[in-house]
Amino acid sequence: MNILDSFSLAGKKALVICPEHMYGPELVQGLIAGGAKVWVAGAKDTGLSGVEGFFPYNHTDAVEADKLVDDAVAQMDSIDIMVENVLNMDTVPGWSHDFATINAQCQVTMRGMMNTVMSVGRQMAAQGHGSVILATDYGALVGYDAQSYADCPDFADNDFSLIRGFIKGSCVNYARQTSNYLAEHGCRCNCLALSPIAGKQPEAFEQAFIRHSQIKRLITAEDIAGALVFLASDASGFITGHTLPVDGGYTAK
Amino acid sequence: MDTFDLFSMKGKNVLITGGRQMYGLGATLALADAGANLYLASHSIESAQAFVDQLKEEKGIKVQAVAFDQGDIGSIEQMFKTVIEDGGSLDAFIHCSRIIPRSSMPPRPNGTAWDNADDALETNVHTNSAASIYMMQLAGEQMIKQRSGSIVAFGSMMGLIGVEKHNYDGNPNMAGGAYAHSYSVDKSGLAAWVRHAASYYGQYGVRVNAVCPGGLQSDRTNPVFAQQYSKHTQLGRLANQDDVRGLILLLASDAGAYLTGLNIPIDGGYTAI
Repeated sequence: MNILDSFSLAGKKALVICPEHMYGPELVQGLIAGGAKVWVAGAKDTGLSGVEGFFPYNHTDAVEADKLVDDAVAQMDSIDIMVENVLNMDTVPGWSHDFATINAQCQVTMRGMMNTVMSVGRQMAAQGHGSVILATDYGALVGYDAQSYADCPDFADNDFSLIRGFIKGSCVNYARQTSNYLAEHGCRCNCLALSPIAGKQPEAFEQAFIRHSQIKRLITAEDIAGALVFLASDASGFITGHTLPVDGGYTAK
Repeated sequence: MDTFDLFSMKGKNVLITGGRQMYGLGATLALADAGANLYLASHSIESAQAFVDQLKEEKGIKVQAVAFDQGDIGSIEQMFKTVIEDGGSLDAFIHCSRIIPRSSMPPRPNGTAWDNADDALETNVHTNSAASIYMMQLAGEQMIKQRSGSIVAFGSMMGLIGVEKHNYDGNPNMAGGAYAHSYSVDKSGLAAWVRHAASYYGQYGVRVNAVCPGGLQSDRTNPVFAQQYSKHTQLGRLANQDDVRGLILLLASDAGAYLTGLNIPIDGGYTAI
């Protein structure tokens, strides 16, 4: 066997949830580049090229999640890969929020993630195979560095959103927890913790981030694709419950 | 300075939720021993009164029960208002309480143990995750004004590792715990939030940490579960209420003045193997 063959996603069908959020286009294109056929589901069709189909998806409750899986299986026959990107939605900036704001974002992201994973996981368990990947950012693993915002204070409110850290980190142990059931049925669950994409933040922040990184640049679409294809493919067949940082070593020091 | 003085909570106002049961009781007793002015958040002030009187008599400290309903946001806001108006400051906020929904973890219709009921997820996210974030925000607002304070949240070992299904072998009625979705999501989120919030509050001299206990031995603990669980720890036993006392005091007091952003397991080494 050629080891490179185990990385191939040829013949696999992938469902990407919430591609409209940060990293969504890169996740979709990465799976396509790996050879998968990709369907997307979310609040709106963002018209990504190469996508096989779109499912409208109100991302919170169980009824919607079950309907999504029914609709997806009707078109896709099987869900071999599911990438959940809801945790990368924009959070309300700033540290002071009323309760309704906090709860609304927690319901969409965390409850939505649980219902999606539950419904898709049930389908994958019935199939006897499947790879679930929960996408988040490096805030799942470390606190954002207040010093990185010294020269761009207006941007600080974006990352120092009260609820952001909670939401970003909610998947890390969830992947370990769900691996228990999924592994019984030949399925896996892992997380991708991604660092900032160039051009999406103020230059001052990006330079501060790079200064703290071990590899002196920001993440590229190819970096995301490489890690994503690995976790989605049979090349990572013995890896589950893991959070893989793709951050140039930022969280390693 | 005497090192033991660093652990003193004399003259410090401390609000604790869930402070009358389980780990919370151990935390309350430690803070009382250290001389804190205690505000015990209680669902029923009447039912808390005997415990309040006992603490006053035995420990010689100021103790007051404050009305608290974790599912009622108005009650949460009033609780912080009452404490801050009465005490003039909030030096430590210890958040131990957790609400278990009545319909916690029943399967969906025709579902399996994997299928947690959506209404239980909704309640967990509302009352445990979102309300806890809101409470810690309110505590932080006061501590920012003071330029000092310590927030100590109760995380869990189950925010740090996945579940060992074999701990429940022979106890099918406990097996649902192996597939509990919202508990791991809530405690995992809290673990990251502690680091996130420590980054934010650090500039104001406010610290944020979490204690992450393992399983607690109680008179209701199933003996077969206890035996199987204990084999997975390095110390060979479940935790007891007293195990949290030292760490709570360390994190709440000036003895922990340089500790922030931490999730510290109290689990007999369960997560270390």
